[in-house]
Amino acid sequence: MSTVTINTEQNNIGMVADELLKQAVAETSIEVNNVSVSFKTPKGIYTAVKDINLTVQKGEIISLIGHSGCGKSTLMGTISGMVKPTQGEVIANGKKVNAPGPDRGIVFQNYSLLPWLTVYKNIFVAVDSALKDKTTGEKVALVETNLKMVNLWEHKDKLPGQLSGGMKQRVAIARAFSINPKILLLDEPFGALDALTKSTMHVELLKLWVMDNRQKTIVMVTHDIEEAIFLSDRVVVMNNGPAATIKEIVDVPLSRPRNKKDIVHDPAYIKIHDKLLNLLIDKFSIADITIEQ
Amino acid sequence: MKELFSTKSLLGILYFAAGMIILGGIWALVSKLTKNEIPNPQATWLVFKEVMHKPFQNDPDYKGIGTKLLSSLTRVAIGFGLGSLFAIPLGLLMGSSKIAMKMINPIVQILKPVSPLAWFPLGLAIFQDSPKASIFMIFICSVWPTLINAAFGASHIPQDHKNVSKAFGFSTWKYLTKILLPFSLPHIITGLRLSIGVAWMVIVAGEMLSGGQGLGYFVWEEGFNGGNIAKILVAIIIIGLVGSLLDKCFTWLQQRFSYAV
Repeated sequence: MSTVTINTEQNNIGMVADELLKQAVAETSIEVNNVSVSFKTPKGIYTAVKDINLTVQKGEIISLIGHSGCGKSTLMGTISGMVKPTQGEVIANGKKVNAPGPDRGIVFQNYSLLPWLTVYKNIFVAVDSALKDKTTGEKVALVETNLKMVNLWEHKDKLPGQLSGGMKQRVAIARAFSINPKILLLDEPFGALDALTKSTMHVELLKLWVMDNRQKTIVMVTHDIEEAIFLSDRVVVMNNGPAATIKEIVDVPLSRPRNKKDIVHDPAYIKIHDKLLNLLIDKFSIADITIEQ
Repeated sequence: MKELFSTKSLLGILYFAAGMIILGGIWALVSKLTKNEIPNPQATWLVFKEVMHKPFQNDPDYKGIGTKLLSSLTRVAIGFGLGSLFAIPLGLLMGSSKIAMKMINPIVQILKPVSPLAWFPLGLAIFQDSPKASIFMIFICSVWPTLINAAFGASHIPQDHKNVSKAFGFSTWKYLTKILLPFSLPHIITGLRLSIGVAWMVIVAGEMLSGGQGLGYFVWEEGFNGGNIAKILVAIIIIGLVGSLLDKCFTWLQQRFSYAV
């Protein structure tokens, strides 16, 4: 009798240990395997990105950075499912990406709110479409929670045209959060905002991420080095296109929560900043630019 | 509320009055030069009052001007309504599908420049009935502007809006009602506004051909054949006023359904 009991206990302990081990070993959220994307253009085939390999862990924040036209948005598109890779595949949340899906929320470059719908309806339409098996009551509750989270509840009946850029972007973020995706994809989300609003939005984004227990994986396209360092765990630097590849992946081992004002004096921050700056502009000296012209 | 009679609006009224006086002056001059072949404003005003007497009388032997106007408007409404019901979905289809555009657009380009009056005998042959033929004619001429504008609207939906639909998995119905229709609506209304203008112009000509009823018949029979030029002038004024009123309605609709981006 007693031996049997011990055995079961041992089994249980083993199972618990396995569970703990699984949680400790970070879960893979996104896997980009050998992805190339080419487009047919009137001038022939244009390869935007080539042979990209990238693995992102669950709860990680990574930035894709590079010069304009380097294909960072294209790479992001392959994760969101808006762009089909010509070669290779993307696995997101354990499934091969074929099309956009509610497990991946997207925040677009130009906010992409529908101008004829109120703030509330813009979010409701998205929730209603993406989460088909929820009841209307649950959907309404989701919209309310997320609008309150970005402090826009009192503006819910306004049209996007009546909002400032920062507010529009908050609506777009609330819309992406409200379908509760495991992965959040941000395509130059703060590019059109002024520096002050941008800073506030960075903090707000991190706040939302922390409120969700750092469970969401965030991939962000940007061309702003400071933004990339402040937000990310890793920064993916891309070569210039065409046929852009990953130049280097830079770790950002700064502890969280990060403080906007203090972080810039941190020697580690300054080191990463210099490194990124070098990676992005090493090719150019004033002399090169003059020759090119 | 702002002052009803600000200096600006008062000036506006003043300029309007000045314009009317100049027009009246030219009219009186023409009348004098033609030795009252064209009646002067005062004579026309007398006829106008006479015409406006019991406007909605509807006896077999005497139909008031209001009754005639309503019968014209009814035919325009039916033709225009049917034409729009046909043109809006077809236009949206053309704008959404390149294949539909390539199939339908050449036909539209060929039929669009044809004078609506050329369709009248065809309608007469089909329906064997002249009022129905004029409705047919209105139908045809109401189709083109709405069709073309609806197609333009639907084909210019910004990629951003389409991306939203893709990213959040909109159903076809949701895409139609939340993106395609709202985006195309201002364009459709522009088309409707152009269409109603054409329809109103064409109905007068149509009724001259079909005879029997409406303002066109009034202009032709009672005015020209009856030798009463003043009645023609009265009819012109009424047709113009009603036409601009219709246009105003659609301008209002345009403003109502425009949105700030």
